[in-house]
Amino acid sequence: MALAGTAAHAPEHVVHDKAKMKLVGLWLFFFSESVLFGLLLSARFYLERINREEVDQLLGLGITCVLLLSSVTAFTAETAIEHDRRKLAGWMLVVTILLGTGFACGVGFEWGTAHFSKEQAFGSIFFTMTGIHAAHVISGIGLLVLTWFQLARGRFSGKDHWPVSGTVMYWHFVDVVWVFFYPALYLVK
Amino acid sequence: MTDAFRNALRIGGLVAVVLAFVTVVEYVFAVNVDSDQVRFVGLALAAIAKSWLIVYFFMHVYRVWRAEAH
Amino acid sequence: MYALKSVAGALGAGLIGFYLGIGGLGAVRALAGYDAWDTEMSITFGYVFGVIGWVMGAGMWGAWGREWFGLRTYDRKAPGWQRYFVFNTDHKVIGIQYLVTFIVVFLLGGLMAMLMRAELTHSGHQLFSNAQYNSIMGLHGIMMIAVAVAALVGGIGNYAVPLLIGAEDMAFPRLNALTYWLIPPVALTLLCTPLLGGIETGWTAYPPLSVLTNNAQILFDVAIITFGLTSILGGLNFVVTIIFMRAPGMTWGKLPIFVWAMFATAWIALLYTQGFAVSLLMVLLDRVAGMSWFDAANGGDPLLDQHVFWFYSHPAVYVMVLPGFGIALEMISHFSRKPLFAYRYAVGALLGILGLSGVVWAHHMFTSGMPNYLHGPFLVATELISIPTGLIFLCALGTIWMGRLWLTTPMLFALAVIFNFACGGVTGIFLADVPTDIHLQDSYFVVAHFHYTIMGGEIFALFGAIYYYFPKMTGRQYNERLGKIHFWWMFIGFNVTFFIMHWPGIQGMNRRIADFMSDLNTANLIVSLAGFFLGASFLVFVFNMVWSWIFGPAAERNPWRARTLDWQTDSPPPLENFPVPPVVRGHPYDYGVPGSVHALFPGRGAEEPPRPPSTFPGAAPAPAGGGGGGGGGG
Repeated sequence: MALAGTAAHAPEHVVHDKAKMKLVGLWLFFFSESVLFGLLLSARFYLERINREEVDQLLGLGITCVLLLSSVTAFTAETAIEHDRRKLAGWMLVVTILLGTGFACGVGFEWGTAHFSKEQAFGSIFFTMTGIHAAHVISGIGLLVLTWFQLARGRFSGKDHWPVSGTVMYWHFVDVVWVFFYPALYLVK
Repeated sequence: MTDAFRNALRIGGLVAVVLAFVTVVEYVFAVNVDSDQVRFVGLALAAIAKSWLIVYFFMHVYRVWRAEAH
Repeated sequence: MYALKSVAGALGAGLIGFYLGIGGLGAVRALAGYDAWDTEMSITFGYVFGVIGWVMGAGMWGAWGREWFGLRTYDRKAPGWQRYFVFNTDHKVIGIQYLVTFIVVFLLGGLMAMLMRAELTHSGHQLFSNAQYNSIMGLHGIMMIAVAVAALVGGIGNYAVPLLIGAEDMAFPRLNALTYWLIPPVALTLLCTPLLGGIETGWTAYPPLSVLTNNAQILFDVAIITFGLTSILGGLNFVVTIIFMRAPGMTWGKLPIFVWAMFATAWIALLYTQGFAVSLLMVLLDRVAGMSWFDAANGGDPLLDQHVFWFYSHPAVYVMVLPGFGIALEMISHFSRKPLFAYRYAVGALLGILGLSGVVWAHHMFTSGMPNYLHGPFLVATELISIPTGLIFLCALGTIWMGRLWLTTPMLFALAVIFNFACGGVTGIFLADVPTDIHLQDSYFVVAHFHYTIMGGEIFALFGAIYYYFPKMTGRQYNERLGKIHFWWMFIGFNVTFFIMHWPGIQGMNRRIADFMSDLNTANLIVSLAGFFLGASFLVFVFNMVWSWIFGPAAERNPWRARTLDWQTDSPPPLENFPVPPVVRGHPYDYGVPGSVHALFPGRGAEEPPRPPSTFPGAAPAPAGGGGGGGGGG
């Protein structure tokens, strides 16, 4: 290797599209996660068909709308940082965090007032599915807080905003999961 | 506020309105339909449509195939 | 001492996390009016925070975690051997970390097998109670499954894939380091299970026993969920690496077959591993939270667990054997000095197995009481898999046919893979057919069958790959004579043990039970003695590896005269793998095709032209300085 090491040709390195790799990696992660949620969803129909116990419909619709709204604010935050509007992005992240917290509290309230027990099959299904989803919501809130914290300290711009985009994509993914879980748990019968 | 920014926000708002509309329709539909099969299929279609809207417009899935990432 | 600092930091932070988890949970529980200590819940929380503390303490905090808080990251630059004990992001270091760790786990698991065979030398109880036997059997099972899933993928895959595709590292180096550093807590936790009474359920953890059994089950659950996480993240890393990090000119049609196999494997790990995690999560929730996923009295169903579990664990078999096939085909082509026969069909077969792997899981459940109408479809789907598998065999045989075989130790192992897996494949047909399976289910026939596929197929490939890459990894040549002794010793021991094992299985000897019918005494004694013989063969391997790593003669850059990119750089490769990035021109296996070039190194000239083998090159001292590029063949 002495030959190549001392060669006059300076080692030119192949430039990889790091941004694209991170993007695809994140999508693969979502793909893998959706198998987890898909298995829980299948388990729900395997055990209980479409049967369900009485749930608080108004609360369900309410938290669904809150989560949907938080996706819109997250989208606005990402679009804003892409166009270098850091102040708007920061505020939108804060609103997203608040809405997400509202959703988590709604799920907590639902748990506290549920008419069924976790010891019955539907209860196991309901608490596991909402619990795993809420765990993702809470981790998403954590990521949003970290992102907002860095944004407030002056990081990120229109050119460099991958952490914001990644976090917002994760937030949307959590919303997509709820799009399937909500009808399966609240509406299907 | 540039045009591109305003357009992007407008698309986001439009998608949000559609999503909210579908969600409410989904709810009303599920509460008022009697047939289990029809309800199941309707909810499944609504969920797929909503998830596609989010995946395409909010998560920008097309960026995966675009020649240069943002 | 960076190594000491790193390991002590990991242990310390892990312990702090463990006690913080237990304490935090205790505080919350006490405030809510419960007992502060609930064995299983406390262990679960302690484990979660302990593992986070462990990886952060191992160096992830400095290399990665600080970034989340907008702080400047730093790496621990450890010299020499100490780099294997820090949060190192170099794929070559991580590959060796994986290999050494899993060889240790393999030897421990092998020791468990020896204990089991000692118990099974005679009917009745010799050494252990039923519970002890179950615990040993469960540990043997899960440790060997872990080795089979991660040693070849994480070890050889991590080491070889970036080299084979001409990349400087994996796509996400820090993620790669994280996947390795999650392994030691998993291994430690599994080794702790005997302290809580041992795993009684085997590695499959079927409910209702797994819900009703002792507290050791909880350690098993959390450890294996973590292990699944490393498998998923590793698979993700491989997929992105293989898609995006290939050298210029390395088109999909020129990809070495091992890389294709790793690509298919990575997809399986990425998409199916969730199944094991979900099944164990449900068991965990049933135990810790008192849920009823598997309690039939409250609307649950134990069969659900088998469906979810085998949804992963059948594809997991392909996570084990596909890289084995890949590396075997790779070695067979290099050592037959011939182009890989029907390369495109081999790729198609690998992808075909990837496609079919997800629709065959219920063939593990023919006797479980699932609906009868499922038998036919799963029988057919299972037997369909023999078509792509057969294609891989044809590619191997077509490559060997009329080749000039160079019977080095790795080549012997590669040929043994083909031989053993053929035997395992044929016995598999009896297990895929419902009528014969109903007789053979849960007997030693099944044990013999899957040892032929997994050990005969994958572990032989793993050892072949270790010998094959030993010169590249360590820069030293192993002792060829000892390598061949190890091969024949292991090959004969393996075949005697497991071929005879079919017989008690057909006679109805149940697996997973410490006792058996006394008419099978002779057969079991022979199997046990052959098993001890097999176990002893690994002493030769360990001696050869340790001795050669320290005292072996320096290895050449390309001792096998192989054409692939991994052998065109130094042994061991520099940090950036290729000081001059390669540009790929031709197919990697075109041995004997006039004028064909696999890769060019701008400024260095073409790769060393492959020469026909004369004698084993390790015997001759390597040229000083590793030889200049392109000069060797001139």
